[in-house]
Amino acid sequence: MTTAIDVRSVHRSFGRTPVLHDLSFQVPEHSILGLLGRNGAGKTTIMSIIAGQDRPTSGEVLVGGHTPFEHAPTLNTIRYIRDSQRYPDDYHLRHVLRIGPVFAPHWNAELADALVDGFALPARVQVKKYSRGQLSALGIVLGLASRTPITLLDEPYLGLDVGARRVFYDALLRDYAEHPRTVVLSTHLVQESESLFDRVVILDGGRVVASGDRDEVVGGLVQLSGTTGAVGELIAGFDVLRTDKVGGLCSALVRTDNDLAAAAHRLGVQVSGASLQDLVASYGPGSRTTEEVAARPARSPPPGCT
Amino acid sequence: MTFAVPLYITGVVAVISILIMVLFLRAGQTPGSADWIQGARSNGGMVWSLCGFLGYMGAQSVATTFPFALTLGATRRHFVLGTVFWWATTAGYLAAIFTALCALELATGHWFADLYIFDVYLLGSGSLWRIALIVFGGTLSIFSLGGVFAASWVRFRNRGPMALGAGLVLLILVALIITVPSFGRIVDAFQGWWLMVAAAAVIACSSVGTWGFLRGSSVR
Repeated sequence: MTTAIDVRSVHRSFGRTPVLHDLSFQVPEHSILGLLGRNGAGKTTIMSIIAGQDRPTSGEVLVGGHTPFEHAPTLNTIRYIRDSQRYPDDYHLRHVLRIGPVFAPHWNAELADALVDGFALPARVQVKKYSRGQLSALGIVLGLASRTPITLLDEPYLGLDVGARRVFYDALLRDYAEHPRTVVLSTHLVQESESLFDRVVILDGGRVVASGDRDEVVGGLVQLSGTTGAVGELIAGFDVLRTDKVGGLCSALVRTDNDLAAAAHRLGVQVSGASLQDLVASYGPGSRTTEEVAARPARSPPPGCT
Repeated sequence: MTFAVPLYITGVVAVISILIMVLFLRAGQTPGSADWIQGARSNGGMVWSLCGFLGYMGAQSVATTFPFALTLGATRRHFVLGTVFWWATTAGYLAAIFTALCALELATGHWFADLYIFDVYLLGSGSLWRIALIVFGGTLSIFSLGGVFAASWVRFRNRGPMALGAGLVLLILVALIITVPSFGRIVDAFQGWWLMVAAAAVIACSSVGTWGFLRGSSVR
């Protein structure tokens, strides 16, 4: 398996504010990676660095074996569409469709036209007057029709309605199947888009807190709910990722390979599967890094269920 | 916008200039007289009206185009080279238009009515090679100044243009303080080519400054 993007111990600070801390992960060639995390987790910053639009304070990022910053052959293989993508002031749709192919030798005009129709993008309106959803749609057209080996999409469907998001999912999967490439997609719509991902990287506070194959990352996650005492007794000794307590009731997200069914039944605790979204939502203030989890697997007793 | 708007502005200023001259005519001035020519050639409206738009074009050619160029995979070095080339192309286009219109004005005896639109002091007083050089050098200077201010904004946000502007004002004040005792002699010795040297210096410094600001900028 060839590595398309190799992020090695990347730190990034803006002034005195550290944003990324010792970030390391790899993205295999021809895979779709979900880059997940809460606002301010560092998703946009690491995507900028991968795209050569920013430099790490220390560490390095290799794309196709090269540092992308100011390396023209590498930059030509990357298309990074920001959530706040900017266009020249006087641009119309036709300008984007005209200049896109100039910088993308594999540009597919049919795909671009199909997406423009699917999103119903207006041709006569200046791009700077587009709505939030129309700007996102235009970014998707530019990102997908370019067919660059590396495609980075930062919150590509901000403001898109359900139908337009379906157009994006269908186009991405169909075109990816016909023309495999490496796609990194950051999103907060985890539940809706998790089926797209081969792999995920979850960031929290500028650190990687989970990464790997999507099924591995969500494997063993269990949501438990019941009375505070029962849940607290059941999860003692497990890796507890999150607890929520309301009155005398408690729910907990735990990672375990054990079969809890019998014990849960005995204690009257309800057991249900947990999703990638549950995992992403479990991170935030007070969460732990993978290193901390490795050093101290169990977080017991859980703060909310005792 | 790049090619059409300057022509639109030029057309509007030409119409306004003609109306002002008609006003003077109605006030009793004599077309073709020495006073008439002196007054008409002092009209700098054509130059000043274009400066604002050209400055905006120079700034937007960096401020909004830079993030888009990087999205398309351009390097910073190629972006700056391409942008300077584009400034020069547009400046050449405007110089050609103004020179052609000035030639037409001269050939028609100032539009058959002693109307001075392009044959003015600030544009070389009817000299075709001067108007070509002035428009080209002036346009390129304004583009590059707009570009370097925009690049400082890309690099340092609001602090960039503020610091750059303050620095330039300080530089000009210090230069004036040093030269003001000899101002009379400098004015007497003034040569037109000094302006072209100054324009070349402005263009070179601004272009290098644009590169300097952008080479370390991150897009946000």
